[in-house]
Amino acid sequence: MNGKCQEMSEKLIEIKSLALGFNNDGREKVIFENINASASAGELIALIGSNGRGKSTLLKSIAGLIPIFRRQEPHSSDSNSRPSSGSNGHILYNGRMIEEFSHKELSQMISFVASHTERANHLSVKDMLSINCYYKTNWLGTITESDNKRISQALEMVGLEGFEERNSFGLSDGEYQRATIAAAIVQDSSIIILDEPTAFLDIANRFIITKLLREIAHKTGKLIIFSTHDLQLAIDMCDKIWLMASDGFHNNTPASLMESGAFEKLFTNSSMRFNKETRSFEML
Amino acid sequence: MKNGAKYYILFTVMLLCCFVVDILSGAVAIPVKDIFNSIFASNSLPDTLQNSFVKDIVLDFRLPKAIVALMAGVGLSVCGLQMQTLFRNPLADPYILGISAASGLGVAIFVMGGSLLGIDMSHPFFQIFGIAGAALAGAFLLTLLIISLSNKLKENLSLLIFGIMAGSVASAIISLLQYFTSAASLKTYVIWTMGSFAGLGKLQLAILSVMVVAGLLLSIYNIKDLNALLLGEQHAAAMGLDVKAIKIRILIATTLLAGSVTAFCGPIGFIGIAVPHISRFIFRNANHKILLPASAFIGAIVMLLADIISQMPGSGSVIPINTVAALLGIPVILYIIIKNRV
Repeated sequence: MNGKCQEMSEKLIEIKSLALGFNNDGREKVIFENINASASAGELIALIGSNGRGKSTLLKSIAGLIPIFRRQEPHSSDSNSRPSSGSNGHILYNGRMIEEFSHKELSQMISFVASHTERANHLSVKDMLSINCYYKTNWLGTITESDNKRISQALEMVGLEGFEERNSFGLSDGEYQRATIAAAIVQDSSIIILDEPTAFLDIANRFIITKLLREIAHKTGKLIIFSTHDLQLAIDMCDKIWLMASDGFHNNTPASLMESGAFEKLFTNSSMRFNKETRSFEML
Repeated sequence: MKNGAKYYILFTVMLLCCFVVDILSGAVAIPVKDIFNSIFASNSLPDTLQNSFVKDIVLDFRLPKAIVALMAGVGLSVCGLQMQTLFRNPLADPYILGISAASGLGVAIFVMGGSLLGIDMSHPFFQIFGIAGAALAGAFLLTLLIISLSNKLKENLSLLIFGIMAGSVASAIISLLQYFTSAASLKTYVIWTMGSFAGLGKLQLAILSVMVVAGLLLSIYNIKDLNALLLGEQHAAAMGLDVKAIKIRILIATTLLAGSVTAFCGPIGFIGIAVPHISRFIFRNANHKILLPASAFIGAIVMLLADIISQMPGSGSVIPINTVAALLGIPVILYIIIKNRV
């Protein structure tokens, strides 16, 4: 049931037969299997799935923050059993395997915004953003005139112009989330991945942030992938949806997914039904 | 940055003043002129008994002591700053990973274990390097142990628990040694724990200086990484940083600074927690490019002040440096907790 989306443009990212899971002291637990997806520059993609399906694990795997889950050979008598890499899936960037990227190369390819970024008191917004210039600055982290310009432009893009000298600690949740997005822009990567960027925000800010992500993707040509529970906003704003449903992984446009009834499989709870008109779930 | 420049001019003036006053203070009153002459023009002074006496006090005792106090202040403060950033904990101090406990264990084994085993401690080598060497060995062995276990101690919390446990184990062994040792060995150990800047020979001073300077240079090199850790390890890792390598580099800098200061001066508490907060309070900035030099300057000033106070000017007696450090540091720490100015 893997959704196949015909892409005319070149693939920036390709995920092939990826499984998610954990290996704890030899005990293997698979949480999701057979993920196949691809995405191109300039797209806004929402990752939707119920709690515990592995959204964060998938995003962190894509961002290279955790190693790709490798299955052990079943019933191997060899104590040093090697992973069967062939059948365990791959993540490719521009056709190159993620494992082949160095730390620096990966940071130029992807920036990752966690669902909850910690704050530091007395850290100015400008200093906060300059942290993401890590690989562009000298050994002392001195920012150049061009870095300064990029910081100002990124702040302007997220609607925080003139916030450079403000204490990031005192920003509202919505403003701080926008500042973290600006930091991801400053990193100058081709892909931005955000783990539930709207989780702690009110409805107005959820809308503002999602709209902002859409603008950034379409204006700058960056590929943006974010996880969310806000199905309605995702259907309205995103180019594609990656759906982690009970019957498998779906990768398609919101309209196609609605048409195919894929959203019905989002929750295993039979007392809820997806309403296409309101684009939301309702109790039966 | 104009404001910053003003502060650094002020810090330099204060540092110089404290340094001079520290050399001036002591049981024997020596005029400022004589102190300057013995330091800068000792050869041109007439060779009188009085002059040679003054020269001995200044060059062999007070000047080295002031330099040691300055280095201890710089070392512990810069170390405390790095620990607070690494653990994202305002109450982290240079000894949070058990460095002082490990040094203490080294010293306890040397001082008390040696006498129990009947080793002759009067040998000149033991006299000069025994205690410091044992303390350094303790600190570096602990660091090696932490680095070798770094795959298991990935989380900061596990690292913290390991530090506390290592400290408890060390304390238990020290108590055992204390119980069985002689009164003289026990006194030597207890005096070491009280902290002192005095009594370092030229070679010991040189070793301390090299280690503190090396630790400081590595800490300066760490500035960019410390800033990257400000928003948490996950954020740093997400930018493609090798967080484990960064932690090990911070740990080595910390061991060089806190390990060497503890070895030669004893475990000196509170300054390492308080000074980074004084720097944050003055500059209202979290950037380590500002906090690290500020902590170094303020640490040196505060430690010289502590040393001046410990002389109890006019009284002729000396109180342990740890007592003064606690009296100076604790109000700052309490202020931080009450005001929550993290």
